Amino acid sequence: MITFEHVRKTFDSLVVLDDLDLRIAENEIVGIVGPSGVGKTTILKLITGIAAPDSGKVEVADRRIGYVFQEPRLLPWRTAQDNIAVVLRAQGMGKAGARQAAGSWIERVGLQGFAGYYPAELSGGMAQRVSIARAFAAEPRILLMDEPFSNMDLELKGSLIGILQTIARERKTTVVYVTHELIEALQIADRIVELTAERRLRELDLVDRRKVALDWLSSSLGRL
Amino acid sequence: MAKTVPSPVSKRTRYVYAALGAVFIIVVWQILSMVTDPINMASPVATVKALGHLAASRTLWSQLLITLRRLVIGLAIGAVLGLALGVLAGLQPRARSFFEPIRWVGMTMPAVVLAVLALLWLGLGNGPVTFLVALIVMPGMYVNTVAGILAVDSRLLEMGRIYHFPRRLLFAEVYLPGIASPVMAGLTLATGIAVRAVVLGEVLAAMSGIGHAFSRAESFLNTPEVFAWVVVLLALMALLEFGALRPLKRRVTRWQKLKEG
Repeated sequence: MITFEHVRKTFDSLVVLDDLDLRIAENEIVGIVGPSGVGKTTILKLITGIAAPDSGKVEVADRRIGYVFQEPRLLPWRTAQDNIAVVLRAQGMGKAGARQAAGSWIERVGLQGFAGYYPAELSGGMAQRVSIARAFAAEPRILLMDEPFSNMDLELKGSLIGILQTIARERKTTVVYVTHELIEALQIADRIVELTAERRLRELDLVDRRKVALDWLSSSLGRL
Repeated sequence: MAKTVPSPVSKRTRYVYAALGAVFIIVVWQILSMVTDPINMASPVATVKALGHLAASRTLWSQLLITLRRLVIGLAIGAVLGLALGVLAGLQPRARSFFEPIRWVGMTMPAVVLAVLALLWLGLGNGPVTFLVALIVMPGMYVNTVAGILAVDSRLLEMGRIYHFPRRLLFAEVYLPGIASPVMAGLTLATGIAVRAVVLGEVLAAMSGIGHAFSRAESFLNTPEVFAWVVVLLALMALLEFGALRPLKRRVTRWQKLKEG
């Protein structure tokens, strides 16, 4: 579904990605973990096509993409329902049809009764649910998520991950989930690759997820 | 030293103080009219009498309508052109550079010079006054629109690109609401400037309208009528601001109020 071959990407003189190879199969949920600033978001931007590699090749089989950003990025002047409807209108759907479809997505993410609320009237978690609904409403073949649940408490994070997993499995969507929290990636991903501080990709062995989590926690505690 | 934060005041308190400010103006006006020659300053009572006389003779309404028409047409032409060119310049850096000298000339030229040029080119009547209003309103609207376009949240634009928003939808859903605040601020400022411009234009280049009637009253040393026309102008401005601009602003920036709340 997604292939990176010897990809190099720089911003001015800063090398963000160098000789990166990555393959993501259809319907896979892949977590990309790593510290801040190693180029995780750049990988997502290369997949969307809004950024291009300096050299190497990025191949994406289907550019019907949904994107959940770190912050919800909702249009502040549109209600929750209209924020979802707008991506459907971008695909050519009529206003009334788009609003109707958006209404069902509002219910799907558990926001019944909040369709007419503006983003400023929603909590952070509710706004992020709208953002997830918007991403799925676009009927994406690929869903990209850029640390979507950072700054959220564990309970809220758990419920949003549940919603996300259910819809992604049901719709057979390929998901690329970027985070700096390995535990979060372990909760959601079939496969996890680590982008190291040296900008190398390392596939994690997930046979024993519990052990991977414990190792990560103990190494994190060791750094304290 | 700790900073003192001013405590918020209620809506009612704000209205009471605004009313007190208005009463203060009338009291000072009354006192000045009592200590100066009536030829220099008409009292509030004499002004109201003159106003009543103008209203009864229908001069007030006919001149008000003429001025209002020139004002609205000139304002609409200037605002729409300023907005359209501002959007173009905001989106296209080359157009922005091209318009820069024109903007500079428009903003630097004194209004009275433009009024004289309008008179020279278009003679007397509706044409030069409307032209002057449009010309004076346009640069301010243009500048505010350009600033608004450049300040549109780049993260929302990126979201629009990722979701493949067609150009029209991106403009209608991201750019246009994004520039609503600066454009409304520009329109409010432009309306104030337009009222001054229409009066100036009518004094210099028209034989009708409030500006002309004001100038005529002044030449006949009819001070109460001069003051009556000043009151009419203030009422016209109040009508535009409270009857049109504020409701429009409330409507287009409703979501901002929610944010502040």
